[in-house]
Amino acid sequence: MIAADRQARATRAPRDTRPTPIVPVSVATAAMGGRLVVHLAAASEERRARHDAERVLSRIIRWADRLSRHLDTSELSALNADPRATVTVGPTLGAVLCAGLDAGQESVGLVDIALLDARLAAEGLADGPPAGTAPRDWSIARGPRRTAVVHRAPGVRFDLGGVAKGWLADRGLDLLSAWPSAVIDADGDLAVRCAPGQLWAVALDDPRTDGAALAVLHLAAPRDGQAVRWGVATSGTSVHRWRHGDLVHHHLIDPRTSAPAITDVVQATVVCGSALRSEALAKTAVIAGSVDGMALLERAGVQGAVILTERGETLALPQTLALLAA
Amino acid sequence: MAPLSVPGPTGMRPAPPRPNPNRLRFALGTGGVAALSMLLTAIAVPPSAASPSSPAATPASQATVTQQRPIQYVQLAAGQAPPPGARVIDAKAPKPITIVTTVPAPAQQPVVVRTTQSGTVVP
Repeated sequence: MIAADRQARATRAPRDTRPTPIVPVSVATAAMGGRLVVHLAAASEERRARHDAERVLSRIIRWADRLSRHLDTSELSALNADPRATVTVGPTLGAVLCAGLDAGQESVGLVDIALLDARLAAEGLADGPPAGTAPRDWSIARGPRRTAVVHRAPGVRFDLGGVAKGWLADRGLDLLSAWPSAVIDADGDLAVRCAPGQLWAVALDDPRTDGAALAVLHLAAPRDGQAVRWGVATSGTSVHRWRHGDLVHHHLIDPRTSAPAITDVVQATVVCGSALRSEALAKTAVIAGSVDGMALLERAGVQGAVILTERGETLALPQTLALLAA
Repeated sequence: MAPLSVPGPTGMRPAPPRPNPNRLRFALGTGGVAALSMLLTAIAVPPSAASPSSPAATPASQATVTQQRPIQYVQLAAGQAPPPGARVIDAKAPKPITIVTTVPAPAQQPVVVRTTQSGTVVP
């Protein structure tokens, strides 16, 4: 009997150490002008997963409602409408404004959240400021009781855009600490956590064809390691576009010109440690163009980057190969 | 009364005096230290420019070949000017990067999570 067991063990195939793809429980809603989704690796706990996902979605929506420039009742709209140079804001808006400052530093100034008027001009909703003269000097300081105090030059108004979405995705994932494998999809910007031995397959949208993918990333945590966290974000010029006469404008404003960026990048996707940083760097790569953008991403030490150019090329930094699905 | 002498065993002789080992030990130790010192000196001290008194310092006219290492790159400090005719490379120029132009076709598998530009309606 013992000999038979030994023989069976000897002839057994080696244990499969490949990570297991996750088939999640997903809960989605419309928010922030797009979609907001929570994915959880729940196995047999679907009911609890749906309850937790809905709780986190409602919390994210409450935060997003404070940060939207499209809602007259938001705290951001109140700040933009306030004529004073110094305004006290709440903890959520203060935190995202600070994140905007960080994104500006990370992007060598190419991500600027104080460009609302240039953005409205690109949409044809306002006259834009003359290039290079937009007032954008502002700072933020800690205030009493977790508030923050914004000091700004006259006329500075904010558009948090992708910075807010990245921040919301990261904070939403923090709220799901009880779930080792979870994803927050904040309108395309992802905060991802993966438990050891599991794998998230993440498709990079191909904007040229509905439902197609430029590539599929495998974000996996080794079986003998710890849970791993990533941010995956995509930015581009092919979705938000407006035609003014013969000109087509997009929504990514180059702070150097206060006008839509002139770039050969249609779309950029970046993988790094957080959704906020990934979003800022993806937008930076689009504004900077393929050559300068790739060099900047390489210097930033991202874990992966894929860009689609207007010439139809799909380019990637070398380290991306380790993440691409076979 | 004189003490009686007791004869020893037949054929035994007194052992001859042995040489003092400390002299040999001292000699070997000193020699070893000297050899180790020379070895370390040879390893640790790189070949240096010849001192004025050494034969290598004699003028080139005495058939001594002086070999100079060609200078290929010089990093300019702030305020320094490049030598005439030098090609100046901007330190801020992006490094050459390896670009993958062919991304493998996505695997045929169900993918639930998708990253998109904001505002994209996921089918």
